[in-house]
Amino acid sequence: MNWWDDALHRATVEVLLCGALAGLVGVQVVLRRLSFFTMALSHATFPGVVAASIIGVNILLGGVVAGGAVALGVAALSRRRGQNAASATGVLLAAGFAVGTGLVATQSGFSRDLSSFLVGSILTVSAADLVITAMVLLLVGAVLVACARPLAYTGFDRTGAQAAGFATGVWDVVLLLTIETVVVTIVPAVGTILALALIVAPAAAARPWATRLSTLTVLAVVFGAVSGLAGLSLSTRWDIAAGASITLTATLLLAMSLLLAKTKEAQRGRQG
Amino acid sequence: MGDLAAAGAALRYTGASIGYHGTPVLTHVDLNLAAGRRLVLIGPNGAGKSTLIKSVLGLVPVLDGTATVFGQPPAQARAVTGYVPQTDSLDADFPVTTAQVVMMGRYRRIGWWRPTRAVDRRAVTQALDRVGLADRAGTQFGTLSGGQRQRALVARAVAAEARLLLLDEPFNGVDAVSQDAILTVLRELSATGTSLVLSTHDLALARELADQVCLLNGRQWAVGPPGEVLTAETLRRAYGRHAVDVSDGRTVLVEP
Repeated sequence: MNWWDDALHRATVEVLLCGALAGLVGVQVVLRRLSFFTMALSHATFPGVVAASIIGVNILLGGVVAGGAVALGVAALSRRRGQNAASATGVLLAAGFAVGTGLVATQSGFSRDLSSFLVGSILTVSAADLVITAMVLLLVGAVLVACARPLAYTGFDRTGAQAAGFATGVWDVVLLLTIETVVVTIVPAVGTILALALIVAPAAAARPWATRLSTLTVLAVVFGAVSGLAGLSLSTRWDIAAGASITLTATLLLAMSLLLAKTKEAQRGRQG
Repeated sequence: MGDLAAAGAALRYTGASIGYHGTPVLTHVDLNLAAGRRLVLIGPNGAGKSTLIKSVLGLVPVLDGTATVFGQPPAQARAVTGYVPQTDSLDADFPVTTAQVVMMGRYRRIGWWRPTRAVDRRAVTQALDRVGLADRAGTQFGTLSGGQRQRALVARAVAAEARLLLLDEPFNGVDAVSQDAILTVLRELSATGTSLVLSTHDLALARELADQVCLLNGRQWAVGPPGEVLTAETLRRAYGRHAVDVSDGRTVLVEP
């Protein structure tokens, strides 16, 4: 039997790739305080994914279209003064989710799949899914490396970046679409509701231990992959949903990191 | 660059109104700053100092009248302007080192994806050296003191090799050592032909540093050499109760 024919082997590779991908983009999400946007995005992909599976087209395509609409919508809203982007994002989040559940309800015999949209189904990934995730990982890595300067300048000093001639609005869209690509890619594996934790927790856990963006990114990728791997192994050992155990592992990692950072700070405070 | 050098004036504003979304914040701006000279913008908080600086960078539109920077529309002169923002407008938690911040000044020359060259790294080292932060190159920007952060931002503008430097309240909350370091660098830059625009509400500093002083308070009230503009009479006319006479016959501005 081919090594790839084992569902658990494929799942192991998929969580490693998804964890790395989530950690990679999570750094940008955490630094730019885009957690809420990312959550709205993951919920907005939901109706797109459901609609795609009803129509019978690739569910990734459905997610890309719905998520892309939200990403561009938020980018447009945040450019207009007086608009409360957070409120608008919140409404989009709830509306997207409502449309998705509504669509699911119209289909009889669909309910079994609903939970796989919400918490993911890592054990059903195909070899083709793995290839797609690996390609997205390469693509997102390449985009973040190539665009590192304008993204960092915009995040650190927005007015300064504009004064230096960077079109910050364009770079915002590049970033939002990159986040969207990652969300759409990992949602089938870890689910709509849990994707946010895998994106935010590894980067937030890495945050206290890095003074450079490069170190922070490497740490977040490692933390993401470790969360995925440990979560999957816990789930197979105790037969709990993989998405849930991955999320809980990532959350535990974050809690431990913050606790350690606090302890270290307190010690330094006593010495100084 | 050739026709830029030919245009004698670093800044030329005539009857300019500046503001956001069609609403002017600052009106009646008439400025003529020769290349290589030092202009100090004076006014209390909300007077329009930052707005004027951002208009020079092409970030806030000129609604009425005209404004040129080295003979060009402001947004097109960004290649020769350098900006030192107020430090509190930055994300101090962002994981960048001091040297990386200064390297940002080189981005416009390097482009957004090409690798840095030896000349860029040398410019960063020299700029850090000039502001006395050579030993802090690898330190995270956010852990520097307020004065050191301001020096790092001045170093960034130095590394950009700008012909016109715009500094927004560079001495706000800055310690004496940092203020001296920044003033020394500004004088050196000025001596080698860099034009300076600097905002402050420190009148003593304005007297010391400025070739020209511009009084702002929602509109331009006066412009000229410090000796003519910074008189008790003019200050009281522009600022009313915000201009207060102190014991030795001088006038200071107080915040509302």
